[in-house]
Amino acid sequence: MKAHWWKALGVVLVLYTIIFGFLGSVPRLPILNETIRVLYFHVTMWFAMIILMIASLSYSIGYLRDNSPFRDLKAKEAALTGMFLATLGLVTGSLWARFTWGAFWVNDPKLNGTAVTMLIYLAYFILRGSVEDPQKKARLAAVYNIFAFVMMIVFIGILPRMTDSLHPGNGGNPGFSGYDLNSDMRMVFYPAVIGWTLMGVWIMNIKVRYTKLTWKLNEQLD
Amino acid sequence: MVSQILEIVKLNITLEWRQRQSILAVLLYVLTTTYLSYLVFNGIISSETWNALYWIILIFAAVQAAFRSFQNEADRRFLLYYSLVPPRVLVIGKTIYNFFYLLVIGLVTFALFLFLLGNIVADPLAFVVLVVLASAGFACILTFVSGIAAKAGDNPALPAILSIPLLYPQVLALSRTSIRALTGFSWSVNGPVLLVLLLLALVSLLLSYLLFAYLWRD
Repeated sequence: MKAHWWKALGVVLVLYTIIFGFLGSVPRLPILNETIRVLYFHVTMWFAMIILMIASLSYSIGYLRDNSPFRDLKAKEAALTGMFLATLGLVTGSLWARFTWGAFWVNDPKLNGTAVTMLIYLAYFILRGSVEDPQKKARLAAVYNIFAFVMMIVFIGILPRMTDSLHPGNGGNPGFSGYDLNSDMRMVFYPAVIGWTLMGVWIMNIKVRYTKLTWKLNEQLD
Repeated sequence: MVSQILEIVKLNITLEWRQRQSILAVLLYVLTTTYLSYLVFNGIISSETWNALYWIILIFAAVQAAFRSFQNEADRRFLLYYSLVPPRVLVIGKTIYNFFYLLVIGLVTFALFLFLLGNIVADPLAFVVLVVLASAGFACILTFVSGIAAKAGDNPALPAILSIPLLYPQVLALSRTSIRALTGFSWSVNGPVLLVLLLLALVSLLLSYLLFAYLWRD
């Protein structure tokens, strides 16, 4: 039971996020109104996604060092779980945009960054799928993961700052730090980041263990 | 190391010269697609359309061209290189070679566009500078990614889907800057963008330098 405390913590934090995310007090702002609550879901899921992608990156770097198939498996599952969180973040962000900007999708540097992130990781899975030999697959995937991650950071980190953006936190729009003068929102925001990350790690953990069992079973059958 | 890099560049140019159909095929691809745009956009080309078409056609030509540079040698010639030079030398040499290759394609495309779609470029020099920067940036990313794609086997869609998302940052910056070359270019205003483009190329070159050794060994 000792090793499972973080799963319980994840469940508690996500429940806390859902309850206080919908019921807690938020600043009353024009246009945004109640949609400001999307911050607890959209932004935090993206934080969790970035954390999982960094985990995937570090497993890929580790794989190139020791060629352990388990590291490759973890890199893949971390990226897959990150993609899942990215999809959820995309849907929540899109809904928010519909009610504040008037459209589900706009041509904006931040949104283009999202698109490029998801396309890169989809390409990563296609690359994995098109190589038969497991060692070669793991090596190519690790190399592409590292290369693509740096390009992605460049895209979502640097380019939006070069042009104007509608997204909060860019181009003169106040970001998260502008709203939370009463710090009520911070009290939900940071636990939510940890909660979603723990959930992501848990999902990844289950998938890794499942695949390991499949490998073991195949070995016994052979 | 420099002499080895030059050897690789020279070797690739010689090989290319011996089987000219490869570069001719890419140039013909550029010609047919440009002529297609000429037919489809008959007379209604604005500078925005001109600009957008140029970068889209160039990107697809560049992906094809760069992929060709590794496609034929994934198995056989890799072994030869392996006995001759360290992988880091090979990737730098290949990138330099691809830079010249893509520069030729970019300039030919530019000339075709001027001829077929109308000479509406206010500052040709600025546009050529952007084409040079684009060739450098594309070469750095495409050489490495086509190395991955060539190793991954013969999935024909792979080079495009692996590399095009990685090219978005450059193409976005390039197309937004080159539209100004069509309407009137200011070097002092656009200087920082040119610098960012150069830095992007350097970052990807550094990454390919560091990672190519892992990609390469079998």
